[in-house]
Amino acid sequence: MYLLVKQQQVARDNLDRKVFLEGLAGTGKTTAGIERVKQLLHAGAPPTRVLVLVPQRATGLPWQEALRRSRAPGGAEVRVTTLGSLARELLELFWPLIAADTGCARPLAPPRFPGLELSQYLMRRFVGDEIERRDYFRGVTISRNRLYTQIVDNLNKSALVGFPPEEIGARLKAAWRGSSEQAFIYDDAQACASLFRAACLKHNLIDFSLLIDILRKQLWPLENARGYLIRRYRHVLVDNLEEDTPTLHDLLGDWLPHCDSALLIYDSEAGLRRFLGADPAQARSLQALCDLSVTLDRRRAMSEDVAALHFAMAKTLGRAEGPLPKHGNGRAALRWPARARWHPQMIDWTVQHIARLVHKEGVAAQEIVVVAPFMPDALRFALQARLDERGVPHRSHRPSRALRDEPEVRALLTFARLAQHAPGLAPDRFDVASALTTAIEAMDPIRARLLADALYRDGGLLPFENITDARLQQRITFQLGERYDRLCGWLAQVPPELPLDLFFSSFFGEVMSQPGFGLHRRESSGATVANLVDSARSFRRLLTELGPAASVNQDYLRMVEEGVLANQYLRDWELDRSEGVLLAPAHTYLMSNRPVDYQFWLNVGSSGWGRRVYQPLTHPWVLSRHWEAGRKWLDADEEAAGAESLANVALGLLRRCRKRVYLGISEYGERGMEERGPLLLALHNMQRYLMPEGDGV
Amino acid sequence: MFRPRPAQARILAWRGGKMGVSAVPGSGKTATLVALAARLVRAGGLAPGQEVLVVTLVNSAVNNVAARLAQELQDSSDQLPGMVGFRVRTLHGLANDVVKERPGLAGLAEDFRVIDEREARDIMQEAVDGWLRGNPEVAGNWLGESFQQNRKVLQQDWPHLMRDVAGRYIRQAKDEELDADHLRELLRGQGMSLPLADSCQAIFESYESGLRYRGGVDFSDLIRLALRVLKSDADYLARLQRRWPWILEDEAQDSSMLQERILRLLAGPQGNWARVGDPNQAINESYTTANPNFLRDFLEEADVASYDMPQSGRSAAAIYHLANGLIDWSLQHPQPDVRRRQPLEPPYVEPAPPDDPQKNPDDVDGYPHLHHEALSADEERSLVLRSLGHWLPQNPDSTVAVLLPTNASGSKLVEQLRAAGLPYRENLISTDGARAVSGSLCRSLEYLANPHHSAHLSQIYRVWRRDERDREDARRSIKSLTGHLRRLRRTEDYLWPAPGDDWLDDFCGPDASLRQHLDDFRRVLRRWQEAADLPIDQLLLTIGGDLFHTEMEVAMVWSLAVLMRQFAELHADARLPEFTSELRQIAAGRRRFLAMGEQDSGFDPEQHRGVVVVTTLHKAKGLEWDRVYLMSANTYDFPSAMDGDQYFAERWFVRDNLNLEAEVLAQLEALTKDAAYREGGPTRAARALLAAERLRLLYVGITRARRELVITWNTGRQGDMGEAMPVRALREAMAAERAP
Repeated sequence: MYLLVKQQQVARDNLDRKVFLEGLAGTGKTTAGIERVKQLLHAGAPPTRVLVLVPQRATGLPWQEALRRSRAPGGAEVRVTTLGSLARELLELFWPLIAADTGCARPLAPPRFPGLELSQYLMRRFVGDEIERRDYFRGVTISRNRLYTQIVDNLNKSALVGFPPEEIGARLKAAWRGSSEQAFIYDDAQACASLFRAACLKHNLIDFSLLIDILRKQLWPLENARGYLIRRYRHVLVDNLEEDTPTLHDLLGDWLPHCDSALLIYDSEAGLRRFLGADPAQARSLQALCDLSVTLDRRRAMSEDVAALHFAMAKTLGRAEGPLPKHGNGRAALRWPARARWHPQMIDWTVQHIARLVHKEGVAAQEIVVVAPFMPDALRFALQARLDERGVPHRSHRPSRALRDEPEVRALLTFARLAQHAPGLAPDRFDVASALTTAIEAMDPIRARLLADALYRDGGLLPFENITDARLQQRITFQLGERYDRLCGWLAQVPPELPLDLFFSSFFGEVMSQPGFGLHRRESSGATVANLVDSARSFRRLLTELGPAASVNQDYLRMVEEGVLANQYLRDWELDRSEGVLLAPAHTYLMSNRPVDYQFWLNVGSSGWGRRVYQPLTHPWVLSRHWEAGRKWLDADEEAAGAESLANVALGLLRRCRKRVYLGISEYGERGMEERGPLLLALHNMQRYLMPEGDGV
Repeated sequence: MFRPRPAQARILAWRGGKMGVSAVPGSGKTATLVALAARLVRAGGLAPGQEVLVVTLVNSAVNNVAARLAQELQDSSDQLPGMVGFRVRTLHGLANDVVKERPGLAGLAEDFRVIDEREARDIMQEAVDGWLRGNPEVAGNWLGESFQQNRKVLQQDWPHLMRDVAGRYIRQAKDEELDADHLRELLRGQGMSLPLADSCQAIFESYESGLRYRGGVDFSDLIRLALRVLKSDADYLARLQRRWPWILEDEAQDSSMLQERILRLLAGPQGNWARVGDPNQAINESYTTANPNFLRDFLEEADVASYDMPQSGRSAAAIYHLANGLIDWSLQHPQPDVRRRQPLEPPYVEPAPPDDPQKNPDDVDGYPHLHHEALSADEERSLVLRSLGHWLPQNPDSTVAVLLPTNASGSKLVEQLRAAGLPYRENLISTDGARAVSGSLCRSLEYLANPHHSAHLSQIYRVWRRDERDREDARRSIKSLTGHLRRLRRTEDYLWPAPGDDWLDDFCGPDASLRQHLDDFRRVLRRWQEAADLPIDQLLLTIGGDLFHTEMEVAMVWSLAVLMRQFAELHADARLPEFTSELRQIAAGRRRFLAMGEQDSGFDPEQHRGVVVVTTLHKAKGLEWDRVYLMSANTYDFPSAMDGDQYFAERWFVRDNLNLEAEVLAQLEALTKDAAYREGGPTRAARALLAAERLRLLYVGITRARRELVITWNTGRQGDMGEAMPVRALREAMAAERAP
């Protein structure tokens, strides 16, 4: 592999040293890191002694893929993981030694680890009634699911940043500058967080925040546990160090002096996961512990035109100074519609240009990405439908999607309700017809409806032979009738108490994926069902241990149907790696770290570009390690946070673009409102730094 | 090119500070405001990110002003679109901007939802129903004796009245920045008996909890919270003051207290704030928190430069003579309580100067015509219909409107126009475009909910060919095929035929083009059926993509899709029948569609020459027609607070003719301002308020006519209504003037 001299310093030389590698996105840092692992392996390092740490599992996929494909000995055995996974492994290993100190009520019983879905459920179960009873959160307007996730988020931040969870409310309150009545919501948030933590301890439930707390307080100080890690992994590499949290940084501070070698990869001007506790400033402090610092500054991704555009944008946003670069025409790297009044016109314009790139200019579809600050289903669907019409392949990834939004899941939930035979759980006739259409191959909506009308009675499906009208049987066809009977027969023999995860996996395996049924040979449906099975299984296991399990199935159905946010499943990301135009929220794309030739930025006027995510019950800046105790969060801080966020996103995107950016602008946003967010303003202001010759389309 | 009259030029010469303008109907105030905004943008004093802020009343006006400004300022096409140094907003739009940028200050999440009118009504009804269940005895305190056991009154009229009364209480409380908790404290602490306030307070609390549960705010909250945000963070306020160094406010007579407070804060003590309006056209006071006195008081402030725009080129001299006569009559109103409220005041309307580009039309003999005859409502409609039947064929290039006090009476007229075969255009609640689009989508969903019914299949076929209905040959073909599809007994033989059963094989025979045509339709329906399992917004986008092609329609589908998604999120159990019913509400015009449907450039009478436009007096504001019929000018729709007048706010089933909305507002005032309260007093005071407002509404109606005005009246449902007092006075004065 061809490497620049500076990359070689990291990848081939200095394999026994601790290196701090810095550079902007698109300068080849990860490439150098992966190469270093290969070289370490070639040099004889046992793969089990090499550890690659990443802020989220998806960021590790390029490492895993590259190492799996490499010829380096044992590449596939190198562990690529996150802080959370390490913590969990340590906790499971050393539980008997620390359990008594954790505060868990049953130190002799094994701990349980609820994910995001379950945490939301548990929050409802442990805290929901108390919120009603005490009339908490009167001063805030927020949906219940979001309220729960923000309480969870506060606990996570306290653990990751390293302050006591009892201080959450006081910290938030001290920084609040609005009306005094509203400040009480932080007391409520504190009360709920404490209540939740107490309930978790009572039931041995180690949610993410408690896991990290225990890591900091019990595991890491424990010589056995720390020594275990230090002895096991002699070569440590950390990618996207700036996107990780102070807890990891603290651990590395202790760990690095004991390593045989280390590589810390730091993306200057990133910090995209600040709202999840990322702390770029803290990350940089680790540079002092390294023997060597290398900065990669040759941009491998951007063309000269895009680099000129990047410079103009950086200058507009106060991130660059000096004269324009001599080479490159930033304006040539930009396109925008001459006129688009309505939102759908912007979508049409986008798809038309994508189709031209793919079909007329021979651009590979995977070299195109469509990003927006948010990618709501309607936008994604409209893009997909239009791309389908023009024969352009596409893929998408939406990390925080509710399980119930998948048609296969909805069909399975309907059949699960049918199998329960419980009063109040009988599904709607439309859902039954719809589920039959999904489940049975060649079943059309008309025949499905005829079937449902004729045979769906009192919450159950009757056999096909119960249709006494021969003409109706003929209309539905005996072939479909036979498949329907197989399906019903299967449902009839299922005991209602069969756990849902088993129900889902058996029903999928024995019916829906079989020849003659709707999900036969549909790989993506398989992955979706697998997610559902995982989710239902974790739910059951946890609830069974919590107490009487009579309503596990019904509780689970209710939870999914209420739209609880799904856990992130790695298999979704793996599926994403197929070829096609990527449709994704801007942050998701940025975190995937894959430059492309062409980018389409949609809803350019949206205020979602470059504005921090407002969460009324939490605050990533105030709960960070750098926030001065008692300082108020002022409008100037808000502006600065917005500016930082805009610069990170806009410049981050440009650094991952090789050839051109298309700006999707419409006068009215999707709700028919005119929008003028900070990105649009910045683009207007940027025009003065671009070459005068216009080539706007 | 806009050539200003002297009064307009004075306004264009504004160099800053505070300015108030009182403008008569048709004086070109919006054109002047646009010219002023354009001048300020062009003057080049705006730093990057700064804008001239124009605030106006309704969405259609926003678009109208924004489009005109954009045209005035059109620059090089090389510029990025979307930012031209100005921002035009309704107050709600502005409040949304203010809150959206710092939602945390208002206790809102990033993705907070503005609950629309209908949803808010449902939440309110839920709260009212819950309260009624727990307090069935309260009805006895308010219902007339003969209605205490009346089942219809108890089950329908009383709950609806309580919803309106509580709604009024809540709106007023929010307008005065009073939250439910604070009011509860006040109620606990006061000694007076305020039973209505007590009831409404319980409903208020339950309503608020309903909103919170849904993560939403209603329209009143949006304004209240914007003010709270501005007051709670001086730095943010200062930033917005820098962003909007110039604030221009149109239709300022309809400003509410909160609107004034918000704009006053945004302008700052030394800021540049121009308010333009016509207190004589304030017609929202009795049912909103708007009040023309805010503008009147502003015009009197010491540091405000006040101007009149008295000249208007819109109407013939005789129309203005009538309008000015109404001002005179109002100044001498026989009822002192009404007079004190200053319903109409000078400036009088003056014609445009002789060299004006918009010269007043000439008078037409016999007009205005104020019909003296007492007619029943049916007779009145027949009279207008006959008159239109004569007039329309002779004036195919002119514009004409029938203005009515209520939507309900408009609907009846529309039925008769349809029956008489006269061309008409409704402009009642929702716009035609929104209704047509939602109607088509509604039928599509109906079909998908019943794919096995051939009647729905034939109906959806008609929808599919909706754009061709103007062609005679297409009409014939649609009729014929619709019939065949309706008679199809097994729809699956067409849509999803089993091998050898394809209906098209038999039906089309060798006719390849017919087969192709029906095959195309089948493909579309299959696509929809496959999409029927998608979330509702995606389903509507799929259908809309096949049915609609104009920019406006496609955009409207998008907005409906977003609206339905929101509905689905709030109603997890909703399925196709529920979505169909929601869309049907919009299609039938029973539900105001607040999104894109009203975001067009507004209703333009010039687009409907030779067609009768039927609209309400309220919706007619800002519009003009060559000929105008103003119907139902009787003592019920235009009372004068005289003995014997009746009032729609005094419900027939409530004891002692009490106006409960007025009573509860007075109880709220007693609670919060230590004012005295005696039952019945507020009802009487509300009569004067309503009489004053209806006078202004009459004034608005009269000044919609360019050349010909016809005013008629009817004797009402019971036959006991008289001719509205001001109309009779004007008619008699006219007769006296015309007498030889």
